[in-house]
Amino acid sequence: MNTSPSIDQMLEGVLISIGNDILPNVVNPKAAASAQMMQSVIQGIRQLLPVYDQYLAEEHNQMMEVLRDVAGAIGGSSGAAADRIRERAATLGQGDEVPIPIGRDVLMDAHRELGFALQESMIDLDELQRAGDDAADAGLEMIRGHFGPRIVRDVQTFLVGDALLGRG
Amino acid sequence: MESQLLELLREYFPEAEHIEVTGFEPIPGGYSRETYRFDAVVTSPAGEEHHPLILRKDPPPAVSILQTSREIEHDLIEALRLHTNLPIGRSLGHEMDPERFGEPAMVIQRMHGNSQTSDLFHDGPDVHHADDVMRHLCEVLVELHTTDVSKIDPHGRLADPRNAGIDATTWDTYMETTVDYYIRSFPTINTDPTMTFALDLFLTLRRDIPRPLPLVLVHGDFNPANFLYEGGKVTALIDWENARIGDPREDLGWMTTMDILSNTNVMAHPVDEGGFLAYYNKLTGFEITQDEVDYFTLFGTANIAVPVNGAIKRRVDGESVEFMPLYLVQSSLGTVPNLLRLLDYPGVPA
Repeated sequence: MNTSPSIDQMLEGVLISIGNDILPNVVNPKAAASAQMMQSVIQGIRQLLPVYDQYLAEEHNQMMEVLRDVAGAIGGSSGAAADRIRERAATLGQGDEVPIPIGRDVLMDAHRELGFALQESMIDLDELQRAGDDAADAGLEMIRGHFGPRIVRDVQTFLVGDALLGRG
Repeated sequence: MESQLLELLREYFPEAEHIEVTGFEPIPGGYSRETYRFDAVVTSPAGEEHHPLILRKDPPPAVSILQTSREIEHDLIEALRLHTNLPIGRSLGHEMDPERFGEPAMVIQRMHGNSQTSDLFHDGPDVHHADDVMRHLCEVLVELHTTDVSKIDPHGRLADPRNAGIDATTWDTYMETTVDYYIRSFPTINTDPTMTFALDLFLTLRRDIPRPLPLVLVHGDFNPANFLYEGGKVTALIDWENARIGDPREDLGWMTTMDILSNTNVMAHPVDEGGFLAYYNKLTGFEITQDEVDYFTLFGTANIAVPVNGAIKRRVDGESVEFMPLYLVQSSLGTVPNLLRLLDYPGVPA
């Protein structure tokens, strides 16, 4: 996956372009209002994305705890309703908590560091290849074997449409 | 802008008693220049003339994808019109002083013909003209590639129009210094570790240099969006800003790439001649192999990838807020699997 431009940078770019390229040319007030609503939603998505997975995981684990706490609070109660609460605590409230993902910025930094290390290795392999070291061919093949399927997956994930827009 | 345009037109039509600009509007889809279509209605003692024209204006340097000169483009167009039969619209002139339009600009003739070349492919309305148009397009390219460069570029300004240190004295020096320019430029396009494949591309080009061919004038952006047609003929080859001295296989390779990005199929025509490459070889005798086209598909892609990805990096680094470079991040992806295949990457589906 690309880390630069990041998803946030691309969304920010859409926001800016709506403001600079589209809104000044929109004459219909309803269309202008829609464009501003889009900006609001996109800005909201920018704020959601960095914390979305983290909050889901935290909330998942907190809900397990609440189920157990509620069962504890009605420990002396009897009847079918109380039994259902204890049943939920004993099933959904038990088991493994999901791991909390590390922050996206931390992950992207670590990802970039390794990616650039592979890039530096490719430069060194080229130096070896040009010096006639055949073993470097195998090293290059390994780096290509990593990037090839990965980039194809990125393309399949991110590409939209069959052709460049605005070209013939 | 229209009043400045009128001032310029008065210089181009000094005999005019009155000039009126009508239908002035931006043309969407230009990726490197800001373009505007308009008609100039020129009244002179000889009568009234209507001139369909285009204003091509540079964007600000920070957002410019290709740093090219309107003066060189103007001179090239007029030299080609003088010395060849290529279908090219006239260039009326250029204005390099940014005082007038904010950036350098030029005014060119708007040629007739359909610019929606996608109409020639798949289920398009002109698919029955595809063979004839591509046959003519190939003949046009051959005429360009066999034109005497010394007549078109007597001062050698097209040897290195980007001032990238390219030495076109011989084919060997051209290839060596051009690939060196790609490799040297890599830090200016290296936005992300996935750009490693571009570095690999540049280094592979240096290791696998093919056989030489004579250097010629190449269009430099020979792609399905840069010609117009009518009936079975090409009516105009347009957008000459990236023209330069180079290897003729560069135009064939770049068309191969742009066929993929544009969802067109230029290289498959004319079918009765065995396709574009076979017909090109028949006309030139160059005997270019598919392997050589593959090499120059990578080479031509590198030539455009350097400035395009440079613009993307400047956008990512915050030097501009233009949206186009971000769109190019996404839209250029379509060509990447083919580049990986040409580089023999394992695990890339055919």
